[in-house]
Amino acid sequence: MNESVGSKLESAGVATQELPMFRIRDLRKRFGSLEVLKGIDLDVRRGEVLVVIGPSGSGKSTLLRCLNFLEEYDEGEVLFDGELVGYRRTAKGRRERDSERNIAKMRAHMGMVFQHFHLWPHKTVIDNVVEGLVVVKKVERKVALEIGATLLSRVGLGEKAHVYPGTLSGGQMQRAAIARALAMKPKAMLFDEPTSSLDPELVGEVLEVISSLARKDERGRHGTTMIVVTHEMGFAREVADVVVMMDQGVVIEAGPPDQVLRSPLHARTKAFISKVLH
Amino acid sequence: MNYQWHFEVISDYYPVFIDGTWVTLQLTAFSFSIGIVLGFVLALGRLSKKRLVQIPATVYVEAFRATPALVQLVWIYYALPIITGIRLSSFSAIGLGLGLHTAAYFGEIFRGGIQSIERGQVDAAKSVGMVYRQTMWRIILPQAVRRMIPPFMNETANLIKLTTLGSVLAVYELLHASNDLITNTYRPLEIYTVTAIIFALIIYPLIAISRMIEKRWAKGR
Repeated sequence: MNESVGSKLESAGVATQELPMFRIRDLRKRFGSLEVLKGIDLDVRRGEVLVVIGPSGSGKSTLLRCLNFLEEYDEGEVLFDGELVGYRRTAKGRRERDSERNIAKMRAHMGMVFQHFHLWPHKTVIDNVVEGLVVVKKVERKVALEIGATLLSRVGLGEKAHVYPGTLSGGQMQRAAIARALAMKPKAMLFDEPTSSLDPELVGEVLEVISSLARKDERGRHGTTMIVVTHEMGFAREVADVVVMMDQGVVIEAGPPDQVLRSPLHARTKAFISKVLH
Repeated sequence: MNYQWHFEVISDYYPVFIDGTWVTLQLTAFSFSIGIVLGFVLALGRLSKKRLVQIPATVYVEAFRATPALVQLVWIYYALPIITGIRLSSFSAIGLGLGLHTAAYFGEIFRGGIQSIERGQVDAAKSVGMVYRQTMWRIILPQAVRRMIPPFMNETANLIKLTTLGSVLAVYELLHASNDLITNTYRPLEIYTVTAIIFALIIYPLIAISRMIEKRWAKGR
């Protein structure tokens, strides 16, 4: 991916509101004969927080993983900041898998946080955080360590910089993983059930960190663009701009949280929400 | 027991053991180097999604695991020159043969170690923008190597023992040297005893080191 269209426009002083951070059109993904995503259409605007809910097996995680091409989608397209994700067009108008380098570059602009953290156990917490900066962005290690330390204190882990992940609680691990993703200064963050594997008493500290990313800063600039797959309805209600309900590979309804969560249009949404809440 | 031990034969002929041991060590080093490099290539080959790479690597590994080492060595020594016209000294033939043989086993150990790293580790590396090479060297291998050490040390010990097959093809390694000495001195018990002890002295430290590393890493860094 070259210098993105979005940031070019931004630096030219053009309003970029019209260009969404994500534009997803007719996205389809098959695992063998099983069609997991059956044509998803979604836009995520800059600074918007999109929360995806739905029963397990509905394709939420696959959707998220297609956005940064951890899963290769089969049909349709994902445009991230105006650029097609994972594929490039050939001279004949077909498309082929983009080069490894281009895909990696695109991923570096998207932070991802996983249900099971996936911190690297052989590196200390701070080394986890700066790894991408040093290896991918080629930032000088000394500078990277300063950035890393700042981020760790932002997620409340300043004291834990030099321990190994194995000694942390689940909540601390997830906050470290968030710091690792943020270190790359991503244009957007993807959260794949970030609190689902945490003990209940540790959920709050992680959600608090995620919420803080969504807030506008003092100068009124919008917060981080985020897509969050979660079952935390309270979090969805408070932080989401848009809640998307997925079931069996399709979006069955999408709208502001008050509408989707309080007076859902679809019976399946209603059933799902009451099941999660009780 | 009426046998009269005559261990003085050892001190009389000790240079034979030293020479034999030296050749054994050289043979080990030679085939170990081939084995470790080719084994790594085979492991990556077997893990590749490209069938053109994956299938030959798999065939190689299975072929070498399914045939006796001795047959492989004899084949390389006698058949390879006829097919390729390349004439190898017996030392090179054995060294190469054992290297090719060990590569199959090393390859499986490397593949197993790499595969044992959960996919999430790779997902996390990709998600910060690492390419395959960076992911392999910085994330997967450092973790996988820890899990590979015990079977790897084991296989290395096997390789050292397999060098005795060189005796069949007139490589003057430790066992061949011992056999020669026996023909001259008629002291098989003493000589084989010492030969066994020398092998134990070479191999045991590897086992000890392996155990030490395991313990250290098990302590959780």
